[in-house]
Amino acid sequence: MTSQANDPRVCDLFRDDLAETALGVVSGRRRSEVLRHVESCPSCSLELDQLSIVADTMMELSGETEPPVGFELRLAQRLQSGVSRRPTKRVRRVSVLLAAAAVAVALGIGIGALASSGGSNRPNQAMPDITSANLSSGGHVLGEFLVSAGKPAWMFMTFDSGTWSGVVTCQVILAGGKIETVGQFTLSAGYGAWGAPLATSAGQVRGARLVDASGTVIASARIPA
Amino acid sequence: MAVGDDRAGLTFVRRYQRRLYGLAFGIVGDAGDAEDVAQEAFIRIFRHAPVFDARRGSVATWALTITRNLAIDSIRVRRGIPTDPDDRVFLELTSNERQPDAAAAALEDVARVRSALAALPLDQRRAVVLAALYGRTAADIADGESIPLGTAKSRIRVGMAKLREAVANEDAV
Repeated sequence: MTSQANDPRVCDLFRDDLAETALGVVSGRRRSEVLRHVESCPSCSLELDQLSIVADTMMELSGETEPPVGFELRLAQRLQSGVSRRPTKRVRRVSVLLAAAAVAVALGIGIGALASSGGSNRPNQAMPDITSANLSSGGHVLGEFLVSAGKPAWMFMTFDSGTWSGVVTCQVILAGGKIETVGQFTLSAGYGAWGAPLATSAGQVRGARLVDASGTVIASARIPA
Repeated sequence: MAVGDDRAGLTFVRRYQRRLYGLAFGIVGDAGDAEDVAQEAFIRIFRHAPVFDARRGSVATWALTITRNLAIDSIRVRRGIPTDPDDRVFLELTSNERQPDAAAAALEDVARVRSALAALPLDQRRAVVLAALYGRTAADIADGESIPLGTAKSRIRVGMAKLREAVANEDAV
C-alpha cells in the first residue's frame, strides 16, 4: 500500500471517474490510471466494486425473453457453417449436439437435459441415450458419429477431412452386418455435419460409414459393444 | 464452461439463451436483429471459452458483456443510439413486468437497481442507461444532448452513486 491510500486529496482526483470506469466508458489510459490508484486504496476499491455490481446488474434489467422458435437450430447451423471463418473442432462438436437437441426438441422428444443438468434452472426433461463413436480413416480420427435413441432414433455426424469436398453418402451398419443408406450430404472444404432420422432402432446400429461418389468408403465408425 | 466438456456447450446455450436474447432485444428492439446478436454472442463465447478467466468476473457477466457489445455494434450500423427521452428502452427497463429468472440474490439486486433507476431524474437515468447499455462515453452524451461535458459526467456519477446506494444499503440490512 502506498502513501496515496485513503488520502482524500488523491482520491478526489479519481473518484469522479470511478462510475465511468465501472461502466467501461473511460479511455484505456484513464482506466489504467484509475485502476492503479484503486489497487492501493481500499476505500476507492470498495466503491469501484459496488459500482461494478451496479453496472453488471444493469445488463440484467432487460430480463429474460424466450428467443424465437428455431433459435437453437439456427444457431447450430451457424456454428456448422462457421459463419465468417471455419469453426474450431470444439465449436463443431457443440454444433452437432445443438443440432441433435434442436431436431429432437422439434419432434417433441425432449432432450433438454442432454447435457449435465447441474445448475440448470429449467425443469428436468427426459434424456434420451446418445451413443457416439469416432469416424476414422486409416487410423486417423476425422469426425464423430452419434446415435440418439428415441422414436424415431436419430443419427448425427460431423466430418472434417481438411480437403475432401463433394457429396457423400451416409450409411449405417446394423446388427448382423446389414448396411442401410440413410442419405447424402455435402462436404465443403473438407467439412460437413448432418443428421437424419433412422428407420431402425438405435440399439440395432453398430456403426456408420461415409461413401464417396465412386463408392469408396472414405471413413467409418464402429460403436463399441 | 470447462474446456473440453462439449456437452457443457449445449447446457450453456439452454441456460443463457433467454438472458442473452433478452438483453439483445432490449438494446436493438428488433427480434431478427436480437437473434443475430445473441447467436453471434454464443459463437464468440464458444470460441473464447478456453481463455475465460473466472477470477475477472462471472460467466454470466462475461456473456452479457459480449452480447451488449455486439448489440451496440449492431445498432450503430443500423439505427443509431436512441436519444428520445420517451424511447421505450428508458421506460421498459424500469418496468417490473419483466422479471429475470435468476438466482435469488441476483434477482434482488436487479429489483433494487430497477427501482432506484426508476426513481432517478430522467436526465440522470438516461445518462446512466446510455453509458451502461449503449457504451456511450460522457463526451458522447454531452454531444448528443448538447450539454457541457462536466454536466454529462456529473449525471453519470450522481446517477450511479444513487444506484450503488440502493444496492449497498440493502446489503447492509
